[in-house]
Amino acid sequence: MQRPGEPDGVTDLSRFGFCVSLLTAFFCACAGGVSSRGADELYAYLSAEPDTLNPVISSDAYSAEINSHIYETLLDMDLDTLGRKPDLAERWEISPDHRRYRFFLKKGVLWSDGVEFTADDVVYSFKVIKDPKTANAHRKVNYLDITEVRKIDRYTVDFIYSKEYYLGLEICGGMTIIPRHLFNDGADINTHRNNRLPLGTGPYRFTEWVTGSRIVLERNERYRDRKPAIRKIVYRIVAEPSVAFLMLKKGELDFMSVRPIQWVRQTGSGKFLRSFNKFQYFTPNYSYIAWNSRRPVFSDARVRRAMSRLINLEAILEKLLFGLGKRVNGTFYFYSKYYNSDISPIEYDPAGAMALLKQAGWADTDGDGFLDRNGRKFSFTFTISSGSKFAERLGTIMKEDFRKAGIDMEINRYEWAVFVQKLNSRDFDAVTLSWSLGYNEDPYDLWHSSQMEAGFNFVGFRDAEADSIMERGRREFDEARRTALFRRLDRIIYREQPYTFMFCSPALVVVSKRFGNVVVHRAGLDTDEWTIAGDR
Amino acid sequence: MKRYILKRLFLLVPTLIGITLITYMIVRFTPGDYTSLRLDMQMGLKTTAASKEILDQERRLYGLDKPWYVGYMDWLGKFCTLDFGTSRKDGRPVSERIGDALPITLALNLITMLIVYVISIPLGIAASVKKDSLFDRVSSLALFILYSLPTFWIALLLLMFLSSGEYLNLFPLGGITSDTMTGAGFFPLAGDAAWHLVLPVITLTYGSFAFLSRYTRANMLEVINQQYITTARSKGLSEPRVIMVHAFRNSLIPLITLMATLLPGLLGGSVIVESIFSIPGMGMLAFEAILARDIPVIMAIEAISALLTLGGILIADLSYALVDPRIRLETKI
Repeated sequence: MQRPGEPDGVTDLSRFGFCVSLLTAFFCACAGGVSSRGADELYAYLSAEPDTLNPVISSDAYSAEINSHIYETLLDMDLDTLGRKPDLAERWEISPDHRRYRFFLKKGVLWSDGVEFTADDVVYSFKVIKDPKTANAHRKVNYLDITEVRKIDRYTVDFIYSKEYYLGLEICGGMTIIPRHLFNDGADINTHRNNRLPLGTGPYRFTEWVTGSRIVLERNERYRDRKPAIRKIVYRIVAEPSVAFLMLKKGELDFMSVRPIQWVRQTGSGKFLRSFNKFQYFTPNYSYIAWNSRRPVFSDARVRRAMSRLINLEAILEKLLFGLGKRVNGTFYFYSKYYNSDISPIEYDPAGAMALLKQAGWADTDGDGFLDRNGRKFSFTFTISSGSKFAERLGTIMKEDFRKAGIDMEINRYEWAVFVQKLNSRDFDAVTLSWSLGYNEDPYDLWHSSQMEAGFNFVGFRDAEADSIMERGRREFDEARRTALFRRLDRIIYREQPYTFMFCSPALVVVSKRFGNVVVHRAGLDTDEWTIAGDR
Repeated sequence: MKRYILKRLFLLVPTLIGITLITYMIVRFTPGDYTSLRLDMQMGLKTTAASKEILDQERRLYGLDKPWYVGYMDWLGKFCTLDFGTSRKDGRPVSERIGDALPITLALNLITMLIVYVISIPLGIAASVKKDSLFDRVSSLALFILYSLPTFWIALLLLMFLSSGEYLNLFPLGGITSDTMTGAGFFPLAGDAAWHLVLPVITLTYGSFAFLSRYTRANMLEVINQQYITTARSKGLSEPRVIMVHAFRNSLIPLITLMATLLPGLLGGSVIVESIFSIPGMGMLAFEAILARDIPVIMAIEAISALLTLGGILIADLSYALVDPRIRLETKI
């Protein structure tokens, strides 16, 4: 779950005059910007410090980014086809009942300290994940249905599922493997020293973590495959994005993702484009407005459909996100085959909305300018997480448009933790959020009626056909049949409009021209294949 | 005097317990805890009984299943042995995390305070001596303008114009040391650190002159109109001697009150300045701990600043007696 994108940027300061007299002469001598930096070093941007670099425990995107260079999994995702390909395992077999996944490990793979990687590491990693003493509840839940990981021989392991599940291969193959010979020393895994000294089998090895400042990786010369051209990756931790952007322009960062306003207004100059390439791609994410169907006002699908017609998404996309985003109609990643592209988006249509509201019994009978039904005014609260400027502006636009339609909307702001609490206790009328999902996400957690009480189905979506589709989908191993099922599910969700689906936001990335072969795959960039194009 | 100090030290204990108890209760009763926050943001919460069990397991691991008073007593017991526990965020001892952040904040605040005092107090004295003169008016206007400028804006302007290289390239764009400085000698390191601290220190100081100089000025004015100043003048003492010895020394008493805020002030960091200049100091540490509900870190910082505040107040009270013999402490309690 994510706060909605923060499409807002730095104030343009250049028009303000500023007088500089201070200490100029004295410090002229000291300043030099980046000194003695090798051509094969990549300076990347990290907007916050990771919690820990133990992939079994860590939970944030920053540690995931860094660990992706250090640790590996049995299988990897192909960045173009989004399918599975061998990584630490060279091949795999699935039993006919889809309960047993057998992986044949590559032989001779070394941890970056020279110790060989074997089946024992896989078994150990699973044991640590499942250990009640490991503080990783967020990761354990993914492995609930795996009962055992069994070592068959030094290079073969079996994962045993308690029930069949179409994402089984992905989950088993995606489990991070940590080195048994380092972690299995009796120390508490949550405070283990190697949580800050990671060691993996991947193309890079960890060299330094200066708290609050930077994390440095160097190429793992023991890596089995083709070694990347970039010898060293330095992640700079910079809390303030506008300062990071200044660093980028000064040449102290080579690679960062920027905000829409920066993309549109601050990265277009000739000078900038001489030094940087801009790349844009879509990851599975979407923003939405969720209507709590437990509330009498939103229990009627016609009302929810009317709400979607009252929100001018085209204008919001233009005004708040500079047109950077794709409108979506459903819950699946729109590049995946499950996404139902036959559905056309709901257009802004106040007249149509009024007709729907009228059908649902809402009309202004007492002439106070607000709709009412059975003597109750149409009024609700829009709950947002304070600090989200996108939600704030969206709320203001919605409030105005709803007012015109005779609907009274209040905006309530809560700190993130409190906001989440409100969501969990289902104590809201409407909220805006965005989901950041997997490429192959199981819709069950979001939409199945069993998840209404405590899961992520906080809007209370319930539909018998949808439930049965999701249950069948989980056990359907035929790609084409599952696709048909999920596309049907998208249709049902669209009809019910538990959400007003908004936008999939692109990743907006700027890369220094010092690097060549920067290919945009469907799932993004891969620094391992970049080349050094020469000095600036 | 001894008895008084002992009494006061004895009173510190219940006050400290009170403060930490209230803090602990607030932290425990605020919605959200580390585990569930992490779960919710990670999109992993499932509703099966097994996942509930996992969640409870993790809460038990950190004693969050126990009632708040048991949790508080546990914390207090450890605190008495100077064990602050381990941070939930990165599993490091809290003392280590504070140990990383504290020297940075301390250095920054010491320099800032020194500059603020050295500049504001003479300014205040000068303004009071030349009350209502052009200097008095211009300086107070200038100081209030500085006081009103928002920190984040000035900080970004400073970086933009002095560091970004688009206008001038005099200072680094944040951080506290250069990447290349590891292993350098003391003097290059100190020079490098000083170079990094210039802009943060400017940002932290410019707004603080107004308060202290106006405060000094007001106290001085009160003293200057006293009869003993007239006496001093009529004795034929030189004007500088009248101002510095007779007037300024007596105007120091109210300044002592500020001492009480000095100690805890040294420890506190500014979240805005730290985040803009990428300084891993106490402000960011505390702020992030609060957002993430990292209870051991919050409690440790809170307890230390409570202790320092109480200490500061005690020192201020004792200094009153030192500076002004008319104040008798024994009767004060």
